[in-house]
Amino acid sequence: MDGPGTREGHGLTRVLTALAALGVLASMLLVACDRGAGRAGGAGGGKSITVVIAEYSKDHTKPFWQSLSEAYTKQTGVKVDLRIIDWNSIDQQVSTMIQNNQPPDVLNLNSFSSYAKDQLLYSADDVLSPKTREDFIGAFARGGEYQGKLYGFPILSSARAFFYNKDLFGRAGLAGPPKTWDEFVQAARKIHGLGGGVIGYALPLGPEEAQAEWAIWMWNNGGDWKSGDTWAINSDKNVQTLRFLADLANRQKVTQVNPGKTNRTDGAFQLFKDGKVGMVMGFSPLAAQLDAERKVSYGVAEMPTAVEQAVTLGVEDYLMAFKRSGNQDAVKQFLDLYYQPENITRWITAEGFLPVTKTGLSQMSANAKLKPYLDALPNARLAPTTDPAWDRVKLDVQQNIGLAVQPGGNPKQVLDQLQKNAVAAAGAR
Amino acid sequence: MGRWQALLWLGPSLALIAVVVVYPAVALVGASLGRYSITGLYQGWVGTANYMRLLEQEALPDVVLNTIVWVVSIVAVTVVASLGLAQLLNEEFPGRRLVRWALIVPWAASLIMTSKLFVWLYDYYFGMLNRVLTVLGLLPAPVDWLGNDATVMAAMILVGIFVSLPFTTYVLLAGRAAIPGEVYEAARVDGASRWRTYRSVTLPLLRPALLVAIVLNVIYVFNSFPIVWTLNDRNPGFAHDTMITYMYKIAFKSSLRDVGLAAALGVVNVLVILLAVLLYLQTVTWREAEA
Repeated sequence: MDGPGTREGHGLTRVLTALAALGVLASMLLVACDRGAGRAGGAGGGKSITVVIAEYSKDHTKPFWQSLSEAYTKQTGVKVDLRIIDWNSIDQQVSTMIQNNQPPDVLNLNSFSSYAKDQLLYSADDVLSPKTREDFIGAFARGGEYQGKLYGFPILSSARAFFYNKDLFGRAGLAGPPKTWDEFVQAARKIHGLGGGVIGYALPLGPEEAQAEWAIWMWNNGGDWKSGDTWAINSDKNVQTLRFLADLANRQKVTQVNPGKTNRTDGAFQLFKDGKVGMVMGFSPLAAQLDAERKVSYGVAEMPTAVEQAVTLGVEDYLMAFKRSGNQDAVKQFLDLYYQPENITRWITAEGFLPVTKTGLSQMSANAKLKPYLDALPNARLAPTTDPAWDRVKLDVQQNIGLAVQPGGNPKQVLDQLQKNAVAAAGAR
Repeated sequence: MGRWQALLWLGPSLALIAVVVVYPAVALVGASLGRYSITGLYQGWVGTANYMRLLEQEALPDVVLNTIVWVVSIVAVTVVASLGLAQLLNEEFPGRRLVRWALIVPWAASLIMTSKLFVWLYDYYFGMLNRVLTVLGLLPAPVDWLGNDATVMAAMILVGIFVSLPFTTYVLLAGRAAIPGEVYEAARVDGASRWRTYRSVTLPLLRPALLVAIVLNVIYVFNSFPIVWTLNDRNPGFAHDTMITYMYKIAFKSSLRDVGLAAALGVVNVLVILLAVLLYLQTVTWREAEA
């Protein structure tokens, strides 16, 4: 028989071995899951293609792409491995697919130039018919170019607009939405002055979409991301703009609490939908939610601006085709099917976004609900997505710009650091 | 012959270990030695460069400190509270079965759901917590629990404790149930007080269960991702990240977006947790030898 001492030692060894295994197991689970997801792909060339689409809405994205895939299979005999992935994890999943050397054949994402730079993509010359290419609205086609060639095919677009709460404006005695920054500050103060927890302006500079909110303010003060071909994030104009936003939060105190730590969807939009906020920058999906809830009477207007012409942010998302031997024809047929006017317009309309083709524009211009956004499109600017460095700059802005508007934050220092990192990212080849 | 037969029986579990433990471990170490483009494209072998770069990251000291605070405070509070809960649940009282079932709920619920729930409880504008505390007069004004740098870590730790309690309590409860009744009888005959009995009989005999509870909790809590990820998602930068969420941000959410660097941190994470557990077990056995 074992003495108690040895038994204890025995048990300990066993516990130890088990723990070693468990520790490794737990930490590797993330990797294991990723690999598993990647391996399931394995679509060979020719007979089937993998299509990865971002989930824009639970109601419309999957049904549309599923029926499109079915039509495609019926037409060509090529099967489609369709994957609808939510925005939170799509970057991670696509990265894993590429790490495992199993990229999708067709990918929908909000960036493309890094993939073009890595020479993973077909250009439009290879996989789009001339008719499709010529139908793209010029600005969006240019937004998909890398080194003079079209790699990021516009899939849909959206534009931000200025939302205001009509009831709160009425109570504060304001006639209409502010046109200038001075009017904006006045309006925000009056609304905030109503008391009872009412917020003048909901400013979301948390990591979710800070780059979008920032870009709109930046452009409406005459600043920009770049000056010519070089990054100009810490220009005097931009420092002034960020100080203006920090003042809104800390000196005027007309924003919600901690704007640098508020996200868009569950923060600023939620407050506006609850009727607590006078003004917010929104887009058509927010309008759709407000219409469905019928709780807030709202108006949509141009951005208040400190320059001649109000500028808004246009967002363009992309379709990309990955090079793989034997998939070119299949991919081309798939893209041609999507870009048939009745298909692309049906989907964009269902999701509540804006067209990227000339045909789509003429089909949708009759829609009264889309009027404010369509009107804004000519004065919409895009993020510099054609520059591969942008993919890093965007993340850097998301993670850091919020720090500048917190109490004690230093706008100039934050922008200087962003500029430094942007220059470094541009230099890394 | 006998040896081959043994292998036949061991085969399935060995295969499983190879697939879910060895392969990912090798893949992780492999990834940590490579350079990857922002798209995830492999661009060649870089040796230990990723590990060197890891040490240069400005956020690293904060992240390590956060991790220590996160693990130590959750495990310590959880174990102490669970000792009490286990003692309580070991007593006979009406409704004990119900309470035992209720305790399982936070364990059974998905961590992400629990975390989302707490996000709304803590919310500055809509949250229950602020409303209750201000109505009771315990707070003069609402607090932005998840946005305030001073409170966010504590708020996350509280959720960590909440979800760790059930498992820990049940491990200790099982340990408590395994203690034979005779020793308590003996203690009673010797005239020991309740507190004395607890200290000199229950606690020493709970030792194996405590050991398991502490070691497993350290591993779980260290590796926990959803709570910090969900409750901290509004905060810019890395000021409240643990080594696990920092690893994810390096790979996908920061301007670094570097799978190789993240894999290097992943390897470090595994080594750190193994080392911590080994050290702990060493100390415990050493103390045992002393006693």
